[in-house]
Amino acid sequence: MDTLLATIPYLGDWSLILAAIAGTAWGIMGGALPGISPSITMALLLPFTYVMDPSSAIVMLASTYVGAEYGGSVPAILINTPGTNSAAATVVDGYAMNKQGKAGLALGISLYSGFIGSMVGLVLLMALSGPLAKVALSFTPPAYFALGVLGLSVIATLAGDSMAKGLIAALFGLMIATVGTDPVSGANRFTFGNSDLLNGIEPVLVMVGLFALSELLAQAALTRDDQDRARSRPRIEFPDRKLARRLVKPQAIGSAVGAFEGVMPGAGGTIASFMAYNEARRWSAHKDEFGHGSPEGIAAPETANNTVAETAIVPLLSFGIPGSNSTAILLGGFLIHGLQPGPMLFQRSADVVHSLYAGLFISIIAMVILGILILPVCVWMVNRPRAYLNAFILALVMSGVYTIHEGLTDVGMLLIAGAAGFLMRVLRFPFLPTVLGLVLGYLIESNFRRALVLSGDDYSIFVGDWISIVLLGLAALFILGSFAARTLNFIRGRRSDRVPV
Amino acid sequence: MITRNMVGGAVTIVIGAVYLYYAHQIRVSSLADSFGPRGLPLVYGWLTIFLGALVLGKSTVAVWRLDGEARATLAQEEWAGEGRSILRAAGLLLIATLYLLLLPHLGYPLSLVLLIGGVILYMGAARTWRVPVIALLGATMLWLIFVKLLGVDMPEGFLSTLLS
Repeated sequence: MDTLLATIPYLGDWSLILAAIAGTAWGIMGGALPGISPSITMALLLPFTYVMDPSSAIVMLASTYVGAEYGGSVPAILINTPGTNSAAATVVDGYAMNKQGKAGLALGISLYSGFIGSMVGLVLLMALSGPLAKVALSFTPPAYFALGVLGLSVIATLAGDSMAKGLIAALFGLMIATVGTDPVSGANRFTFGNSDLLNGIEPVLVMVGLFALSELLAQAALTRDDQDRARSRPRIEFPDRKLARRLVKPQAIGSAVGAFEGVMPGAGGTIASFMAYNEARRWSAHKDEFGHGSPEGIAAPETANNTVAETAIVPLLSFGIPGSNSTAILLGGFLIHGLQPGPMLFQRSADVVHSLYAGLFISIIAMVILGILILPVCVWMVNRPRAYLNAFILALVMSGVYTIHEGLTDVGMLLIAGAAGFLMRVLRFPFLPTVLGLVLGYLIESNFRRALVLSGDDYSIFVGDWISIVLLGLAALFILGSFAARTLNFIRGRRSDRVPV
Repeated sequence: MITRNMVGGAVTIVIGAVYLYYAHQIRVSSLADSFGPRGLPLVYGWLTIFLGALVLGKSTVAVWRLDGEARATLAQEEWAGEGRSILRAAGLLLIATLYLLLLPHLGYPLSLVLLIGGVILYMGAARTWRVPVIALLGATMLWLIFVKLLGVDMPEGFLSTLLS
């Protein structure tokens, strides 16, 4: 309550309001451009914050983060391209709704859920910074490994019709994640002497290739008749009361998962959004709609990754630990102005902390207003004739991917990922397990091996603390539950003489 | 009769085998941990081969069990229209590859105009004055965003050499 009362006076500070609006607008634009991650968007802004006062500078950077996390969903829904890693789970149902002519509603659900997630995250940030950060600090390598396994257990439900093909797709992702310098010994793996591969392959590059480029390649074969598609009205539609009630459950799931994942350094919005998607499907009364344009399939991941945008700041503020690239940039912003995040920050520079809370609140409101203003224009753009639109999308994604390292290797990798994605479409392999394997590969391998080093190769370390036991138990429960459901479906399929070939 | 799953299984086995081959080439230092940098890649490689064989085997058995009529129907439907689809996709991929090859020489703005114009025509748009205009406007817009606004160091090509 004291925090809230101390924050309120800053809500009327015009310099904070302007910084929050500018940061959010910049963030939405950066997040919406494929290849430009939230951290890059923030890093581009960092030099401009030198001349600003500390509070406005921090607010502008944090607002950019909030805007970018939301902005990633816009291309995910409109052009089947996740603007950020954490928007990958939104692609599935968001783009499906767009193809049904419901882009306005999909964007409305995304904006509405982003608002809910951000508000929940902000409340948690203000109220629970201390206790949540203690939970985060109790995570050891075995617990992070267990977290990765829990993330991978989602594959059991994302695999689609064939579990074997889903697992193969996940292995493709895990294999790509092994490219680069080994996280423990520093050995080079699968780099073929190319120094550009030493840092590994950027997940967003693979995602853009799998989703966007493969979609463009698939559309290249469509005839002009095939290209006639449902066009969306160029306006944002927020969910009506009935739909809003239906979205409460996935939004609650998204908030809970986002809060949990956000406070843990290294977990991030991508895992949160996939887990939220999976859990929303598990607990939904409309399971069959998932993957075919389910509003819940947008609400859950969008709530989750927007919650993470705020709760990821918890370990930074409380202990000075940046849990992601974006919060590392934010830490840079603090340091530039001579501020050291950590327990003393709340005592020495309480005004900056309260300004940050106020600025985040303003940026959430700005996100909604800017969304309402900008999104109809975006919908209008994707309603243009398919040939023109696809040419622009191809140019956009190739330009965006170039910016990751300002090199042509990434663009070449994008083309390979696109061709692989097209082949996966033709051979009917699902994409999402690949993305999940790619995102979780590093987390799983590095923590698995660190845990073994710590324990002197004693495998019992993986069940040595309650966090690991709970996470691994949940993963086992999810996997067994999915197998039971599949076995049941298999028996039913047999009865109706449906034999997969 | 070759199904998609048979091809998928076979391709997976090849990918797994190639990956496994390179996994064996990873140098393990004497200071590495006991699991080593090769450990998980070897597990991934073998698992991929096993699952690929599973998909291939299951599909082969399923086709073998079909009666003559069902097999004939499957043969007709399994790959219907895919040949054209793959060729068209390969064409678009070729345009993108050409862009990648020309980019360092022609520079970003000019390559972009050619890419956008080429793709518009390839995707079946009518050849009107709109094509070059849209290509020029689109390239200008992207150039402004990436080069001017975001300050990305895009390849400048021979044009910058001429201008300087």
